[in-house]
Amino acid sequence: MAGFICVLASAVLLPGVFLRGALERPAFPPEEHPGERNLAIVVNTSNPVNNLSTAELRRVFLGARGHWPNGHRITLVMLEAGWPERAAVLNSIYQMNETDFNNHFLHGLFTGEVFVSPKTLATPEGVRKFIFNVPGAIGYLRESDVDKTIKIIRIDERLPDDKGYKFHLLPR
Amino acid sequence: MRTHLAVNSHMLGRPWGLPILRRALPFLPVLLMLAQTLCAQQAEAPPAADSPTIQELLQRIADLELKVKKVDQLEARVKQLEGEKQLHTSPQPGASPSSAAAPTPAPAQTAAPAQAAAQTVVQTATPPQKEKEPDQQADHAVPERMDMSNTLLRIRGFGDINLHGDNQRGDTTSFSLGQLNLFVTSDISEKFKFLSEIIFEGGPDNIYGVTTGERNAFGVDVERFLIEYSYNDYFKVAAGRWHTAIGYYNTAYHHSTWFQTTTDRPFLFNFEDRGGILPIHTVGLSASGMIPSGRLGLHYVAEVGNGRASRTPLTEEPVQNVIDEENHKAYNLAIFARPEAVRGLQVGFSFYRDLLAPANTPSVNENILASHAVFVRKSFEWLNEAMVIRHALVGTTRTFNTPGFYSQVSKQFGSLRPYFRYQYVNSSNTEPIFPDVGLRHGPSIGLRYDASEFVALKVQYDYTALRQQAAVNALGLQIGFTF
Repeated sequence: MAGFICVLASAVLLPGVFLRGALERPAFPPEEHPGERNLAIVVNTSNPVNNLSTAELRRVFLGARGHWPNGHRITLVMLEAGWPERAAVLNSIYQMNETDFNNHFLHGLFTGEVFVSPKTLATPEGVRKFIFNVPGAIGYLRESDVDKTIKIIRIDERLPDDKGYKFHLLPR
Repeated sequence: MRTHLAVNSHMLGRPWGLPILRRALPFLPVLLMLAQTLCAQQAEAPPAADSPTIQELLQRIADLELKVKKVDQLEARVKQLEGEKQLHTSPQPGASPSSAAAPTPAPAQTAAPAQAAAQTVVQTATPPQKEKEPDQQADHAVPERMDMSNTLLRIRGFGDINLHGDNQRGDTTSFSLGQLNLFVTSDISEKFKFLSEIIFEGGPDNIYGVTTGERNAFGVDVERFLIEYSYNDYFKVAAGRWHTAIGYYNTAYHHSTWFQTTTDRPFLFNFEDRGGILPIHTVGLSASGMIPSGRLGLHYVAEVGNGRASRTPLTEEPVQNVIDEENHKAYNLAIFARPEAVRGLQVGFSFYRDLLAPANTPSVNENILASHAVFVRKSFEWLNEAMVIRHALVGTTRTFNTPGFYSQVSKQFGSLRPYFRYQYVNSSNTEPIFPDVGLRHGPSIGLRYDASEFVALKVQYDYTALRQQAAVNALGLQIGFTF
């Protein structure tokens, strides 16, 4: 009987212990925190642009716009293929897959309509540093990867935390 | 943790679990009290009193922490080595700075001054500052400037190989090497860019029906060669040789068969040395840009150049690369719209004017009016272009109008893209500039298969009806690629 009580107590207790541990953790696992899911569009802090419409953002990312209002050439920064941030941008802004994206810029450069091809970097940290260094750069990062050295711009007057913001990582 | 929960739930779900639980239900309040007591004891109990599983987990955590420490140490060592390497490879003060190793301040707490310094590096390429941290130098690669140690020359290649046969007298079924295209670009600075297409091409030239050159020899043509200055989106100016902005096709596909759906260009847009009737290339100055027009998406192109050679018989380069026959220059103005409301749609027109000076005949005023409406999306394209080439003999009332058009439609099904094209050109037999063209019209039908991302296989059948001649049936196979 004593053994039975111990077994049953363990069955009640152990989940309780683990559930208590779970309740002490954040509501989201690290990768599920809202800041991790929001995709921020970021530019150099000297860039006078604070807001873009979705259509303008698409033109910038497609290379159809080559210059900022202050005259600086727009340098688009992309993460390498395989990053979820890139997948989200291809899906939500370009509405293209990797092949179409490559063909678009290859054709754009060939026709001269795209002035320069996007700069591809290996890590979010590299993106952040590149944008910090290049006045005309624009890129994207998880909101949680953004620090004060670069600037988040509003899209359709919304910041990543605002309700109705459109750009998030794709659900896994 | 999820694993443990799953295991416990699973245990409760075993067949023998439910009857036991049912019998134990009356004892549940007692068990809960016991549980609270045990929990209280657990909080006070030393780690040694935990279950073996928890002890094992703690041990694993300790092991992982140890490994993380080792990784941190290794990272620090790598950074140190990279920094040392960077210091050894950094150019000396006074030498041309390498953009790949451009030293910039880290985006750390000193954001404002650091950024100002970084901008200076980008804009003026100041020599490297050795007092910066080596790891910071290694982290920043800003290849936005050209210098003698880093040319930023980019080369993309295009090519095609063909098998072609037809029933025209004198023609043989032949394998033929198409154009080998080296597309070379360089970002010279933030505002300047260089672009060229260097073509290696076999076979003789055919200029207005006059065939010159060896049949199987290869030659080199610089088909595009221009330097472009981009002031802003509304004003770009380029100097050099480019594809004249007449219609759509000429500036959309250039010398790459891989980009175009079909195996060949519409007859209207054949190159000058392949029997074409348009001034496909121009040497001179070009301005282009957007026109502030909101969602209408208007663009303009204004060009002035040497125009095409017109002395007859033409046995040399038809594009006036170096010397113009006349002081008169050719002009071209094109306007087109890409409305936001219909993605993929482009409509436009262009007007080209030149004065040609054929030998032993009066000068000829040449006006070319072209219009186009194209709809190009990933899986569907519909190209429509029409134009009139008007030649008027100076000092007479004689004019020659050569109308032409083509329509091409294709639809993508996976890797396959069937297409259909109909084209038409009607030139007078007494046309003063290209009397060989006459009337030619007919359909083309074909299939493009994208064998890989950068390789396309195409098969195309053409039927061309000719004035006062037998129609031509032709079949072509092509492999077009980019590399």
